[in-house]
Amino acid sequence: MKKIIALMKKDIKLLFRDKMAVFFTFVFPLIFAFIFGSIFSGDSGGSKALKVAVVDLDQTEQSLQFVKSIEEADEFTVTLATEEQAKDLVRRGKHVAYFILPEGFGEDYKGIFTGSPPEVLVGIDPSRTAEAGYLEGSLMKLGTDRFEQAFSNPAAMTERLDASIAQVQESDDIPAEWKSLLGDYLPKMKELTQQEMGGDEDFSFGGDGEANPMMPLKVTKQEEVVQRSGPKNAFSITIPQGVIWAIMGCVIGFAISLVQEKTLGTMNRLIVAPISRTQIVAGKALGCFTAQIAVVALLFLVAYFILGVRFNFPKLVLAAVASGVCFVGLMMFFASLAKTERSVAGITNAFLLMMGMVGGAMIPLFVMPGWMQAISNFSPVKWAIVAFEGAIWRNFSYAEMMTPVLILVSIGVVAFILGTRMVKLEEA
Amino acid sequence: MIQVESLNKRFGNIHAVRDVSLEIHPGQIFGLLGPNGAGKSTSISMMTGLIDADSGSVSLSGLKPQSKEARHKIGLIPQSIALYEELTATDNLSFFASLYDIPKSQLQSRMDWALDFVGLKDRATDRVSGFSGGMKRRLNLAASLLHDPDFIFMDEPTAGVDPQSRNKLFDNVLELKELGKTIIYTTHYMEEAQKLCDQVGIIDHGELLALGTVGELLSQHGGDTLISISSDQGVKEFKSSDVSNDLIQELQASNKVYDISVNRPDLEAVFLNLTGRQLRD
Repeated sequence: MKKIIALMKKDIKLLFRDKMAVFFTFVFPLIFAFIFGSIFSGDSGGSKALKVAVVDLDQTEQSLQFVKSIEEADEFTVTLATEEQAKDLVRRGKHVAYFILPEGFGEDYKGIFTGSPPEVLVGIDPSRTAEAGYLEGSLMKLGTDRFEQAFSNPAAMTERLDASIAQVQESDDIPAEWKSLLGDYLPKMKELTQQEMGGDEDFSFGGDGEANPMMPLKVTKQEEVVQRSGPKNAFSITIPQGVIWAIMGCVIGFAISLVQEKTLGTMNRLIVAPISRTQIVAGKALGCFTAQIAVVALLFLVAYFILGVRFNFPKLVLAAVASGVCFVGLMMFFASLAKTERSVAGITNAFLLMMGMVGGAMIPLFVMPGWMQAISNFSPVKWAIVAFEGAIWRNFSYAEMMTPVLILVSIGVVAFILGTRMVKLEEA
Repeated sequence: MIQVESLNKRFGNIHAVRDVSLEIHPGQIFGLLGPNGAGKSTSISMMTGLIDADSGSVSLSGLKPQSKEARHKIGLIPQSIALYEELTATDNLSFFASLYDIPKSQLQSRMDWALDFVGLKDRATDRVSGFSGGMKRRLNLAASLLHDPDFIFMDEPTAGVDPQSRNKLFDNVLELKELGKTIIYTTHYMEEAQKLCDQVGIIDHGELLALGTVGELLSQHGGDTLISISSDQGVKEFKSSDVSNDLIQELQASNKVYDISVNRPDLEAVFLNLTGRQLRD
């Protein structure tokens, strides 16, 4: 073990002697996290169908009709769920948002001139704030359909006018002047609708409603999800991405250093020394693992003390260890494929950049086409990000942490075994 | 003692080492002389256990070179500068020493001795990247001596070295011999082999063509000593074996002799006679 530790210490020392390597391993990821954290603090549009969970607590004709309109909308891919399921889907990042139609939704939906606008409770995945504006706008657009439906269908219009007349008469909140005005106006309008339109399908109603009842929908954001799940700022989202960049830097650096040992000839010294090949490989792996843990620790210290990011420490350790195992394995695998520093750098960069892109380290998954989102499941980067997010704000249980952790460890073990079998320590 | 028997190694179609057998006695400097690509490094790689032979065997005092015991006895000075350039001389030595179970109490003194031995004690804390080629070569040697090995394999240790460092390395090799070390020294410089080695093996195309002391090789394969006489009768060249009374009388008859030179055979001539090629071809 002493020899393995000596190998590891030597590699860490070499890493810190290379200023560029230190920059790209420790500083660049912080810059990345900071810049992108700042960018994602704002909104940006998205154009692809968003996965949403819909909960209909009202179960009225109107609520069912609204749910149907959400399902038919191009902007959304809908999963019907219970309230608990919906929140869980969002918390685990499976869906972007959930919509809850509370009891009374249908009643409010019917009232056009009186009452409140129908309320929709919305919970949005905090990592998808970029889509929040788009999502809310799309929902509002669906809300306006109730006016179109009301004013283009005489029967529905008559029904809603009857409901409004009754509400005006019963209401104590409406000022007397308004009550008088509406009491005169609404019956005349009903009469006009019945006489002149007579079921004409081309009927339309002109004018805008500025009053509250005329709002298409009342969208109430559910703060519960946000508070319970963690992130108070966008850095909670970008820190895991920064960590991935740092880990990728470690992987590239150590894969190159392993090949470099061969090209420089230092590997020959190691092979003729009284140390087994397993120890040589283990020393290199331990060096890579230690560097990864060090960089994760540094980034999260900065995140905690400077950026205000909060996390669950034991789960963070679990995520860090799992991703460490995964990327050490990948490092060994890449090093086994190449004979020169240049080729190992090329292979590792190409693979990791691709995995990073597909896995959401650079481009948010939601702007990608569906097939690419499906591919992201094959990217270790995605699972590493999910594991870190689980420890930060997704509030994963230990059981939920096991999915990304087991996937990462499995990838790491398979890649490590392949790599150690394929790697030739001797010079070619 | 190092015993090598019928060693063979192929790399694809290239038969890099063919049936090499030799014995090197303790305390000897054995030179493996041959041009680039002759099979010197491959032979050393098999003798140190760096690569496995296709057939044949190597024994280091009865031990297989791959065994842990043998590895404690092997000091390899690779042809390349096998050092971490971004670390200091001390960091490099400290790391390589850590691979050999050197007791902590002896570690510092071993490092001091090694640095002193190669004349780099005053550069101990400097990074290797700032060293000259010769200094790197010397540190390359020091890194292989920390564990006090019995068998020292030096693979072209003077490649690209300035004359000053080269002389220092020669001194080091001779000092190591005085310390009782067995040294295997590969080179394509016949002057080095001639100057340092007790025994020389001449290798080409993976085949050991001749083996013996320098004197033996010269007498067996070097050819005659040539004597060249420049006089008022012109320049005449004779083989030493052709020198006769008639020749001496002829010389005495000359009015003026401007120059007499004696060209003794060297290892270059041995190689030429054995292969029909110059050593540096």
